[in-house]
Amino acid sequence: MAEYHLTAPLKDEDVTKLKLGDIVYISGECFTCRSRLQKYIFDEGNSLPFDTKNRNILIHNGPIVVKENGKWRLVSFMPTSSIRFEKWGAKSVENWNLKMIVGKTTMGKETAEMMKEKKCVHVSPQSVSPNLWIDSIEVQNVYLFDELGSIEAAWHFKLNDLGPFIVDIDTDGNNLFDKMDKEIEERKIKALEKLGIEPDYEYTKLY
Amino acid sequence: MIKTDVYEQALFETIKRGATEISPDVKDAFINAIAREENPDAKKGLSATLESMEMSKQRENPLCVDTGWPIFYFKVGNKCELEGGFVELENAARRAVAKATKLGYLRATMKHPLTGFDPGDNIGMNIPDFTYKFVDGDSIEISYAAKGGGSECFGGTRHRIVAFADGIKGIEKFVVESFVASARAGAVCPPSVLGIGIGGTANVAANLAKEAACLRTVGSKHPDPMFAKIEEDLYEALNSLGIGILGGGGSTSVLAVNVEYAYTHIAGIACATSTNCMVARRASSRIDAEGKVTKMTSPNWFGDR
Repeated sequence: MAEYHLTAPLKDEDVTKLKLGDIVYISGECFTCRSRLQKYIFDEGNSLPFDTKNRNILIHNGPIVVKENGKWRLVSFMPTSSIRFEKWGAKSVENWNLKMIVGKTTMGKETAEMMKEKKCVHVSPQSVSPNLWIDSIEVQNVYLFDELGSIEAAWHFKLNDLGPFIVDIDTDGNNLFDKMDKEIEERKIKALEKLGIEPDYEYTKLY
Repeated sequence: MIKTDVYEQALFETIKRGATEISPDVKDAFINAIAREENPDAKKGLSATLESMEMSKQRENPLCVDTGWPIFYFKVGNKCELEGGFVELENAARRAVAKATKLGYLRATMKHPLTGFDPGDNIGMNIPDFTYKFVDGDSIEISYAAKGGGSECFGGTRHRIVAFADGIKGIEKFVVESFVASARAGAVCPPSVLGIGIGGTANVAANLAKEAACLRTVGSKHPDPMFAKIEEDLYEALNSLGIGILGGGGSTSVLAVNVEYAYTHIAGIACATSTNCMVARRASSRIDAEGKVTKMTSPNWFGDR
C-alpha cells in the first residue's frame, strides 16, 4: 500500500490516485463538523458562515479546546464515528465540495455514491492517539460557537502532516470495510463451529 | 466521620486519574497485545495508542477526546459515615465533575436528549449516574468510569432473552453475532473489554455486563470454572475474527471477556453485552473512617477479580 502526504485545498488528482488501504498524512486548512452543525445547516435552513472552496477537508470531530490568555489551546483531538452522520453525508459532500472526510468508522452507501460522483475519499484513524496528533494541529478560528457549543461548533484547523489515516472509501465508491466484512463473516462461522454452534443453529423463538 | 472536603477532593482526584491515566491492567493488556499482534499496521496502531496514553499522564490531558458518560460506583461500608450523608456525596460528585470539565480533564459531552442543550459541565437529569454496593466495614471505595460514546452507541450494549433450551450455545451465539455487528469498521473502538451479564431481569443483566466491562480487572478470571470457561472460549473465538484495532484487521479484537451472572427466572436467561473501548478508563480510591485516602490500582468491585 502506498503512503501519501497531501496538502489542502485538495484537487481531484490528489484523491483519485488513492486506493483502499493507502495511508495518508494531511496538511493545510480543514474544518470540523458534527451532527448539530449539519442539522443547523441542512435541516434548519441556515448557511455555512465560511467558504469551503479552499478548505475542502472535513473532520468529524468534537475537540477539547480551551482558551488561555486569549488564545485557543487544543487539549485533545480524535476523529469521531462518521457513520452516524450518514443522513447528511451526501449533502455535505455535494454542497461543501468536499474532497476528503476524516472520521472513525466509515460512511454509508448514499454518501459513497456522492463521493464517487464528486471525487471525494473517506479516511479513518488506526489508533486512539490524541497526543501524537495535537502538536500537528493549529487552531485558527471557530464558527457557530455560541449557537452550537464548543464541541459541535465548526473549528478551523491548520494541519501539519496529520496522520496516519487509512483510505476506506475511494473515489470509485469502494469501501474497505465492506471487503473486510466478507472475511470476518467466514471467520465468524468457523469461530461459532469451534464453540459447537452449527451454521444452521436457530434460537428457540421466544418473541 | 469522613469530612465533605476530603471526599470531594478524593472524587475530583479519582475523576482526573480515570480520565488521564491508563490503568495498570489495561497497560499490561496493551503490552501483551502488541507482542502477539501479527498485522504490522495493527501493531503500529496499538503502539501509537499506548504511547499517546502514556503521554496523557504527563500532559494531564484526557486519554481520549470523548470522555464519555460520567459514572460512579460506590462500595460502601455498612457503618461508613459521611458528613452531609449520601445526598452530599452525590452533590460533591457533581461539583467534582463540573470542575474536571472546566479544567479540560473532561469534555462537555452530556446533553439534553431531545433539545441537544449543552449545560457545559456534564451535569443534568440523572447524570452523573450512581450505583451503590453495601459491604461490612466503615470505609468507602469510589470508582469512576468513563463510558465512551463509541463503545455504548454502536450496538456494543445489547440484550436478548435466551431460552433454557438454548443455554450456553444460545448465549455464545448472541455474544459473537452482537460483537461482530458492533465492531464493524471499529465502531465500538476495539480491541474491546467485553462485559457479559447472564441472568436476572434485563436491567440486572445489562448492569452486570456494564460492571463486568468497566470494573473487572483486565486479565482476571471468574472464580466459577463454568463461567471462566465461557470467558476463555469467547476470548479465543472473538480474537479469531481478525477485526483488530479500530476494525482495520488484526490479531486482537478483545482485550478481555468478563462474565458476571445472577440467578434467573425459570422462563428464560437474560443475556446482555457491554463493550468498553480499548482505553477502558476508570480509577478508584478508598477513604477510611479517619479520612485517609488511598489510590487503588483496581476497583475491587467484584472482590479479587
